Amino acid sequence: MKTRITIAGLVIALMLVAGPFNVLARGDGFNDAVKTIEQFYHVKHQSIPLLARAGMKAVRTAAKIKGGDYQRLAEAGSVRVAFFEDQNFDSRGEIATFKASMQAVLTREWSPLVQTLAPKDEQQTYIYIRDAGEKFQALVVNIERHEATVIQATITPAVLAQLMKDPEGMGKTLTEDATINDH
Amino acid sequence: MKNLFQITWKLLPVLLLLLTGSAVTALGQGPKLQIDQLDALANRASETVDVRLDERLMATTAKFFSGKDDADIKEVLKGIKGIYVKSFTFEKEGEYTQVEVDSVMSQLRGSTWSKVVSVKSKKDGENVEVYLNMIGDQITGLAVLSIEPKEFTVVNIVGPIDLEKLTKLEGQFGVPELGIETDKTKKK
Repeated sequence: MKTRITIAGLVIALMLVAGPFNVLARGDGFNDAVKTIEQFYHVKHQSIPLLARAGMKAVRTAAKIKGGDYQRLAEAGSVRVAFFEDQNFDSRGEIATFKASMQAVLTREWSPLVQTLAPKDEQQTYIYIRDAGEKFQALVVNIERHEATVIQATITPAVLAQLMKDPEGMGKTLTEDATINDH
Repeated sequence: MKNLFQITWKLLPVLLLLLTGSAVTALGQGPKLQIDQLDALANRASETVDVRLDERLMATTAKFFSGKDDADIKEVLKGIKGIYVKSFTFEKEGEYTQVEVDSVMSQLRGSTWSKVVSVKSKKDGENVEVYLNMIGDQITGLAVLSIEPKEFTVVNIVGPIDLEKLTKLEGQFGVPELGIETDKTKKK
């Protein structure tokens, strides 16, 4: 009887421990995308505070200049950004493999919306979308020869509808919007 | 018994191919084409564009085209359940084969698809083929294949779409400028 109770206790304990691990294993899209880039290209992402100390990049400065009545697309406080700078992104002729890897890790909850690839220049843009209640979450991955960004932001269906008119330009628009420094 | 196992084992690749073939054919009967098999072309292409606006996305966002400028778009998109585009540009000729073209064409040989013969491209030397998926009198989908020596594009729109609507979508929602010219658009 005592053994049975011990076994039952162990099973319950295992289930309780396994729960959070399952959640971690499922991933959240943003981290999965960052990890996939790091593993495929053997690069490391940089955190925002480090970059903030290093100074603003031209693209972000240009976006900031827009200023004035410029209306942000991403919902306030919803933006997550990871940068890869001054690193080497070489697909070694296997750009389709990288695309498939991204697809494989994001396939559960995220729907691919746009993917543009130019292997010669190592330029890639991936936009994934998922439901977030009444809104949507957009995951934008931009990769160039020496830098990359991963951005996740919440957007309203109205914003998404307007962006959908030009799906190929959506990645650039969302990236610029999400990396504007308001301070 | 061992013999039977050996025969089955030997025939396994053939069986798998038959199963895959029948799956593609089955998919080809509907307006949504299976085009993901073209993804491998990305390694050889100098540029790849892959756009996928699915039913859920179209349905959720459709009601947000409410502005004055959006009235026309809203009408064109009415009932559209999906827009799927894959476009590959190559530096040299011969970078893609008939096998890849046939993987799409074979689906268009299904009984519900028919080629629109009155379509030409305004662009010089461009070979554009347009197919309509019909159930009775209803158009349920459209496919455009642009087959060029250095370019291969597939556009698949699911839902009630005609050529006039297609020309209005060119350059928007991921649909490339195909330069489609029909008898109707020519008169204008």
